[in-house]
Amino acid sequence: METTISKSANYTVIAVAGRIDTVTAVEFERSVSQAFEDENNALIIDCSGLEYISSSGLRVFLMIQKKMMAKKGQLHICSLRPNIKEIFDISGFSGIFKLFGDLDSATKF
Amino acid sequence: MEKHLIEIKNQLTELERLATTIETLGEQWNLPMNFCLSLNLVLEELVTNIIFYGFPQGGEHLIQIEFMLDKTTLQLTVIDDGIAFNPLSKEDPDLKASVEDRAIGGLGIHFVKTIMDSVRYERSNKKNVLIMTKSVAV
Repeated sequence: METTISKSANYTVIAVAGRIDTVTAVEFERSVSQAFEDENNALIIDCSGLEYISSSGLRVFLMIQKKMMAKKGQLHICSLRPNIKEIFDISGFSGIFKLFGDLDSATKF
Repeated sequence: MEKHLIEIKNQLTELERLATTIETLGEQWNLPMNFCLSLNLVLEELVTNIIFYGFPQGGEHLIQIEFMLDKTTLQLTVIDDGIAFNPLSKEDPDLKASVEDRAIGGLGIHFVKTIMDSVRYERSNKKNVLIMTKSVAV
């Protein structure tokens, strides 16, 4: 699992690649926590490189959503691969997150 | 009919070996990539549950995982000697709950039930035996 955080004037993008499983979810949580420290209230998680996610990883996504709501911010998730989208659907997560097909459309807050 | 058996310890670090095994089997048995990712997810959820809750007394235990491919049906069997636990007895999580009320508990078992075509639980010889099948989509 690898994350790359890039900040622009209006939003922060966390690009996540590889596998978020029970072991790497802790690492993922740590990386995204850094992104909360900045002032941007708009966060995008770019999942184009995300190959695999288990319920431990979904727990972190849920935690991020809760934190963003608490600080009245917005979270956009983009570029889910079909197998990951399926997991989001099965979990009912597709209904609680704002999902976008690509990064470009996710940047419109 | 093809068969493969692995034994893993009740440690989270074993999940990596499990993932590698599934990947290798996928290549050997010509299974589609998405099928393998689904199997990986199902097994990770089950094994993680067993590791976290199966052995309140601690100690090292072995979890057996058997893969069996018969034509286009894959059968998975997971056997552990932890406390009796029938995953099928758990209630499904509320998938329509709002963000505030969403809980992650139970999601793993929900994945197992949704992804696999059949899931059967037995308690025999003080062991939990979970037998699952999934047809390999062609």
